[in-house]
Amino acid sequence: MGSPWRYGLGGAVLVLGLGLVAGLASAEDPSVEELRRDLESMKQQLQKLQDQIKKQETVIEKLSAEKKPAAAPAAAPAAPPTETAAEQEERIKRQVTENIMRKIQPSLVAANKTFPSQFNPAIGLIIDTVGSYSGEHGGNFELRSAEIGLSASVDPFVRGYAVISGSNQGGFDVEEAAIVTTSLPYNLTFKGGRFFADFGRLSKFHDHDLPFVNRPIVLDEYVGGESQSDGVEASYLVPISQYVNLTAGWYNKMGAENERVDNTIPRNLSEFTYLGRANTYYSFTDAHSVDLGVSYAGTPRVKEDLNNGRSLVDWDLTYRYIPLSQASYRGLTWGTEVLYNQETRPVGGFVGGSAAEVAEANLARGLGVTSLDGSTGSGQAIDTSTGQVFQRKGAVGLYSYLEPRVTRRFYPGFEFQWVESIDPGIGNTLAYSPYLTIWASEFQRLRLQYTRLEAPGDHDNEFFLQWTVILGSHVHGFRDR
Amino acid sequence: MRRALFLLLTATLLTGRPAQAADKIKVVATIPDLADMTRQIGGNLVDVTSIATGVEDIHAVPMKPSFAVQLNRADVVVLMGLEAEHAFLPGLLEASRNPKIQRDAPGYLDASVYITPLEVPTRIDRSLGDQHPMGNPHINLDPVLAKDMARAIADGLSRLYPEHEAEFQSNLKAFDTKLDAAIARWEKEAAPLKGKKLVSYHPDLIYFAERFGMEPIGTIEIRAGVDPTPGHIAELEDKMRREKVDFVVREVQYPSGLAESVAQATGATLVELPVMSGGLPDTKDYISFIDHNVRTMVKAAQGGGATGG
Repeated sequence: MGSPWRYGLGGAVLVLGLGLVAGLASAEDPSVEELRRDLESMKQQLQKLQDQIKKQETVIEKLSAEKKPAAAPAAAPAAPPTETAAEQEERIKRQVTENIMRKIQPSLVAANKTFPSQFNPAIGLIIDTVGSYSGEHGGNFELRSAEIGLSASVDPFVRGYAVISGSNQGGFDVEEAAIVTTSLPYNLTFKGGRFFADFGRLSKFHDHDLPFVNRPIVLDEYVGGESQSDGVEASYLVPISQYVNLTAGWYNKMGAENERVDNTIPRNLSEFTYLGRANTYYSFTDAHSVDLGVSYAGTPRVKEDLNNGRSLVDWDLTYRYIPLSQASYRGLTWGTEVLYNQETRPVGGFVGGSAAEVAEANLARGLGVTSLDGSTGSGQAIDTSTGQVFQRKGAVGLYSYLEPRVTRRFYPGFEFQWVESIDPGIGNTLAYSPYLTIWASEFQRLRLQYTRLEAPGDHDNEFFLQWTVILGSHVHGFRDR
Repeated sequence: MRRALFLLLTATLLTGRPAQAADKIKVVATIPDLADMTRQIGGNLVDVTSIATGVEDIHAVPMKPSFAVQLNRADVVVLMGLEAEHAFLPGLLEASRNPKIQRDAPGYLDASVYITPLEVPTRIDRSLGDQHPMGNPHINLDPVLAKDMARAIADGLSRLYPEHEAEFQSNLKAFDTKLDAAIARWEKEAAPLKGKKLVSYHPDLIYFAERFGMEPIGTIEIRAGVDPTPGHIAELEDKMRREKVDFVVREVQYPSGLAESVAQATGATLVELPVMSGGLPDTKDYISFIDHNVRTMVKAAQGGGATGG
């Protein structure tokens, strides 16, 4: 009874279902607007169909009621079991489902084939390119770095990340490759491998993350560029309501371009570099805050420094004005780092070459020291193997920058630098750099910078155009804020 | 040098207030809407704080170290999900050193788990702007979806604290009853909004528009998170004139100048709306926030002025 109606309806539902699947499968990259319109149209059709089903069911019920008295003689033999309405409905539903599944099965299989790659780490690439012109040295286009970042959880206890960088210097360099614990108790985190040590503020920023084109001179000279280190580091968030973070580190050396220590040769415990850092944060109002930190990196014995120790201290201060309701459009950052380096260094800097050449250089520098007994009697010492004269020196250097945010796109800024040379007998460096950063989007940045440099033997006007883009995975790290 | 380090350490340790003993479930919510829902569901059992105050752009909440301290002590973090908090929450969670609330840990309560999002991208490509791969995350602007968010919070708290399940579920029921009554009222009040067309600064009003029968036509941003260019504004204004757009909505965290000039150029009514509770003084909790938005839009539709006041 009523079967033709039901079959017809079932067929219509089937066609609609298949049509939906086919439509979805064949659509190539439809816009969201088109999809929404299609969906609305489908909804309307479905509603009409449901209304029609209801009407037809009413008709079927009426017809069934009319036929019942005539069709049921008391003595008639039992009819062969036929499908009830509910069973028919169930069967049609099953058929529709099976057909839809048959259609989408290839897509599911294809999706499953990508399953192994779903464990791949998040991957990002940062391209940092700089065009520069210097009054003294001419111009150059430089692919400063193409930096691939990989990051993923290893297991429930640690995560790993790596930053591999290529540049126009040639070759690839593993800038960072580290393991970090994620679930230690007592607010502790341990890190091991190669990473940027938690020293100061900007020394642990990659070049492309700096607020200006070049790394501050004081970080290049005192730290050795980025604070890259091979070793281990422990960090502790003090469990009080004030934010206080303490870090202790133990490294072969600190500084990507620090050549005092060979990273590949085992060394005595006194020749490692040890770090301590404390940093805190004060919020004056919702909009005004300051980050303060002090870091100490000590190497008890540096062979290159005639086996004397080296101490490096960094005080960092970052003031921020961020109006909460306009955080993307207005603001101000004032960042300053002051570093103090105490070390036994060659007077006038290292001189390569033979003992005769060193002696000549010494004379040229007015040292006039020729005794090779290891001391000069004037606070100076001589490297008996090369004849180079050494002197212990405490040197201070700093940078300070001010960067207002005037729109969402434009960040003008001004950086001031003053650095005493770590080598005795060499003058100071002064530099100032107005710059303008233009964020085309969150993932593309242009920067224009002029630098006036007053360095010993180098008085220069430098112009820079930096263009940086981010492809793929990108995270907003707490440390880079 | 060492003395300076010692002095700084001492100063910070002394000025820091000691951690207080915990007797309530400590919850940190990312936005005030979630904080309000959690307070209503958790009742006296919870102590709730919110990271955002409501005036911020949820995609640009400053990552303050003090939030890391709050999260360090939290038993539960409640978030909107769908990557809405991508700009600040992952970094803060890492800095918090709290294994209980890390992503996918039991204390990580994602309020979007029962929601089927709109605008799920069919193609993930940065040329399409700052995309949210899981769909448009601004679900809190639809009060009906807020019921699903509240349910996710109640179920999450019940899973974590089964001994209090009955209280959480009973509080959820009370919240739902309150919200249902408000929804019925809003649907009636919002009748004049049906079929009205709007342009917003950012694509964050789609759920609100869908709920009250409005049609979003475009955004002042070129794409989500990408500031407009003069060319885009000219195209948008042409489209608005063609489509006879009724409203330009400026979310309170976006600048007013451009939204005003677009409204003026096209004859649309400028409306200012918060996108979270706490965004304006009279939006202290979730219901008063939606109440404000419905009333403001209806007033604008009835020609009652171009402000969200």
